[in-house]
Order: sequence, then structure tokens, then C-alpha cells
Amino acid sequence: MKTNFPWPEGASNAVAVTVNFDAESYDLLSTTPDRLYGRFSYGRYGVRAGLPRLLDVLAKNEVRSTFFVTGVDAQRHANALQRISEAGHEVASRGASMKRPDAAQELTWLRDGIDAVSQATGKPVLGYRSPDNELTPRTLYHLLELGLIYDSTFQDDDAPYRFALSAGKLAEIPISFALGDAQGFSARHSHQRVLQIWRDETEALLAADALIPLTLHLRGDFGSSRAARIAMLDTYFQTLRARSNAPFVTCADLARWTLETVEVPEEGDPYEVHADTLANTVYRGDLAVKPI
Amino acid sequence: MTMTKTSLPAHMKCVVLLGVDFDGPCHEVGRGIAPLGIHSWGRYSAKRGVPRHLDMCQRLGVPCTFFVPGYDAELYPEVVKSIDRNGCEVAAHGYLHEAWDMEGEEEERLLRKTDDILSNLLGKPVLGWRSPSGRKSAKTMQVLRSMGYIYDSSDKDYDLPYRWRFTNAAGESDTIIELPNNTYSLDDFPFYKFSYTPPSEVLDQWLAEFDAIYNGDRFFVLTVHPRSGWGSGTPSRTQVFEEVIRHIQKYEGVHFFSSAEFARWCQQNPELLEEVANV
Repeated sequence: MKTNFPWPEGASNAVAVTVNFDAESYDLLSTTPDRLYGRFSYGRYGVRAGLPRLLDVLAKNEVRSTFFVTGVDAQRHANALQRISEAGHEVASRGASMKRPDAAQELTWLRDGIDAVSQATGKPVLGYRSPDNELTPRTLYHLLELGLIYDSTFQDDDAPYRFALSAGKLAEIPISFALGDAQGFSARHSHQRVLQIWRDETEALLAADALIPLTLHLRGDFGSSRAARIAMLDTYFQTLRARSNAPFVTCADLARWTLETVEVPEEGDPYEVHADTLANTVYRGDLAVKPI
Repeated sequence: MTMTKTSLPAHMKCVVLLGVDFDGPCHEVGRGIAPLGIHSWGRYSAKRGVPRHLDMCQRLGVPCTFFVPGYDAELYPEVVKSIDRNGCEVAAHGYLHEAWDMEGEEEERLLRKTDDILSNLLGKPVLGWRSPSGRKSAKTMQVLRSMGYIYDSSDKDYDLPYRWRFTNAAGESDTIIELPNNTYSLDDFPFYKFSYTPPSEVLDQWLAEFDAIYNGDRFFVLTVHPRSGWGSGTPSRTQVFEEVIRHIQKYEGVHFFSSAEFARWCQQNPELLEEVANV
């Protein structure tokens, strides 16, 4: 069953490669700035060893992508962000740090993250992906207030759509963890098995005229920047190029298209309809029986 | 109580029941989680997953039972009506996909609430229930029977359908058909939530399950979810669902039923069904 999405360039799909930068920001969830050594240096690996390789394989395959970077990482790695930006990739925001603040501080925290990235690249930030993949009921409104045009955190569709809110319209570029590196590599799957997942997912997305939202990480642990994984990525891109002429797009390009194209479906506030019920329910834990 | 094992007639080489547990935003909202960002997988069910599964059922010409929580039916009445319109069965699956470990009157209140929502929406009675989370109490069957349900599909204790005999709410001896399932092997979420198994490997797993069952107890009950994330609504996983069905369709003597149709068949062939007294 096809999406009926009016893709740019009259294509049947679009490919949105995104990279969650998640360097020291991620390690700082587990330790303090004076202890970013040993097991807490996988984030630094991604920038020192991984980034040049990743930029090379993207360039080799003529892939434009979008990097989501926290304010903490943007301040630590301003030069890296400049290199990414100069290579033609988009740099967007992943918040001020990987730890989201209380809801009351969210607007300031979002602004700090956006400012840090735009200071490093010298370009405006147009989009956001939440660092823990969670949003508050106000997040989408804050993004509009801060001049952003899209969010890319939801996992609820096969193609972009628009949120029509009282504060304005915001594009949503939905992703899927299934087409990413972190789940498979953190489960210690082999490269071969993760590539198999990507192939299974991609073949079916191509046939469904869906967005192909490959979500990568830079890190040396569950990310894709080790040499063997870069080789795997190269294989994936070549296979995809051979199978399809779908354009590789940045999230900002796709967001502009989503906002400008009348036929794109529009949705209302995703929280409001649940607000009353949520006020009367409490977190009761996971429903599934965990593996022993 | 008889102890005769259920025996399907020889011409029924295998009975196949396909089930889709709707599990929209209620799955998160019922636990106090707003369905935003990563928690938006349930929003996929109504937007993409259910239409895709209905389209698949129609193309393959197979019946299917959609187990729908009441809250999701209130949110997406047109989608739930489209299930019925497409000739598939709508059965009950909790209100907010509760963990179903509640006490006393709450269970009955929730069972009746969802029954009211679904039967009013469809203009026809609901005939079956599957526990959200898989929990069930001795009282559950009493309430289900008092609402006119003819089957439950929650127990995990057998490879064949059977008949529970129990004392109903009016103090009389009563029965309900049990269509047991297994959420470790013939369900999608263990593979996509815990082991992150490639869809093509999940297909191999389910084909192996079918082949063993076809040559064994001849009763195959597969459950998937139309959400994204750990469900099967997305293109790759729906394709796995479809390829399992296409594989099964190649076998001789396979009978596809909706759960309600098969429960009726069980009622009409009482001598073939094992009867088990309530524990």
C-alpha cells in the first residue's frame, strides 16, 4: 500500500540520512566532565576518528544529510560543525544538552541549544530532534516561537506531514529506529545482521513510496563511524543508488517542501485530545515481560 | 468434564486465525505517557498500519480479527468502522490497554465500557475478547459470558482450541470457547521490541512455526500489531505478515477463519472439542 505522498522531483521516495552527533553530550549522561576517559570516550572517538570517515563516505556517494547536535557538543566541536556545514550538510539542533530540563525551563534550554549550533556554523538552525526522543506538550509551540520550521522526533508515519497548531504550521519529518544503527549495534548484532535489517526495511519502503529515514550515530560504540561500519554504509548507499533514483535530501529541504505543498496531510495538536485522560493516569511501567 | 483431546476433522488440515491487536495511542496514554516523539508509535496504527493490513487481507482474501481497545475506537471511529466494512472482525481488547491486574468491580466496568463503545459504533454485538497484556481472572469469563461473548483468546496453556466450563454470574453452569495463543513465538513484538531481529529472519521463524504446526496440532494463531516501533504496521513487517499468509495458502486443506467464525464452528461441533473445568 503506497503513501500517495507528493515527493519532490516527481520521485517515488526521498532519502533523509540523519546523523545524531551525540558526542560527549551522551557520555555526560553517565559521568562528569573530568571523567570523559576510558569507556566514556566513545563520543570523542566519533569526532576524532569517525567524522572524517563519515564525511568521506557521504561525499563519495553524493549524499546530503542532516546532523543533529546539542549545544554542549557544538561548543566543544565548533570546527567539526564548520566542516560538516561546509561539506553541504545541514546542521540542526538536538537541544542544549542530552538531558532535557523541567518543562518550565524548556524554552530557554531549546534557545541555548539552537544558538550554540548557529554560532558554530554561522547559519540559522531550522529543525530539532529531541535528545531523548521525548517531547513535552509545549515543545512544538516552542520550536515555532524560536523560528524553526520542523521537528524530526515522531515515529508515526511513512512520510512527512504538517502540524497545524494555533501558533502556526510546523513540518514533521518522522523517523524509525528500525532503520538505524543504535538499536542493532547496542544489541551487539553483527554488521551483516544490521545491514540485513536495513535492506529489509529499505526494500519495503521503496515499494511503499515511503520516506527512507536512515538514522545514524557518530559514536564509536553503537554508532556507524568505525571503518567496517563505514564500509557497510558504503555498500548500503551503492545498493540504494542502484535500486532507486530517489533524491537524498536534508530535513530542511523536505520540511520546506512539506510546508509549501498543499497536498501534504495536516494534523492537529497531538497532545490536546489526550490531555484529560493523561491527567487521570499514572505511569504503570512496561506491559511486556522482560527477557530473563 | 471430558478429557478427550480436541480433534479437528480430517479435511481441516490446519485452522489459521490471524489477529491484529490495534494498540493505538491507548497503549501509552493508559500508562500516563503522552503519545509524542518516540511514544508516537501507536499513532501509526490508525494512520498507516490498519489500512495497510486491511488492504493486505482484501488482496489475499483472508479473514482477520482486529482486537480493539475502547479508547482507540473513541479516537478513530471511522478506522474501526472500516475494519467491519472490509469484512474483518472487531473484537475487544481492554479500554486503555490496561495491564489487567485490577481488582473487583473495575474489571467488569472496563469490559462493559469497551463493549458498549464497540457495539454501539458497529451496530452489532461483539463476540470475543483478548486480554491486553495477557492477564485474565476467574471473573473475566463470567463477565464476558454475561455480555454474550462466545470466546476468549488470552490463555497460553494449549496448542488447540477447547471449551472452558465454569459457573457463570447467575450461578449456572456455562461454557466459553478458548482460542489460546502464544505471545513468545507467534507474535511480532518479542522480535521487534527485544531482539531486533531482521524482518526476513522473523519470516523464517514463523514459517518454521507453521510447518511444525501443520504437521502437528494443526491450529495456527498469529498475532501482530499495526503500530510502528515494535509492531508490524510498517511496510517491511507487513510484508512479512503477507509472506507468511502466502506461504500458508500454498498448503492443502488450510482453513482461514476469523476468531468469531471459528468459535461458532467450535460451538456447532461440541463433540470435537475438549472441555476443561474452571480451575
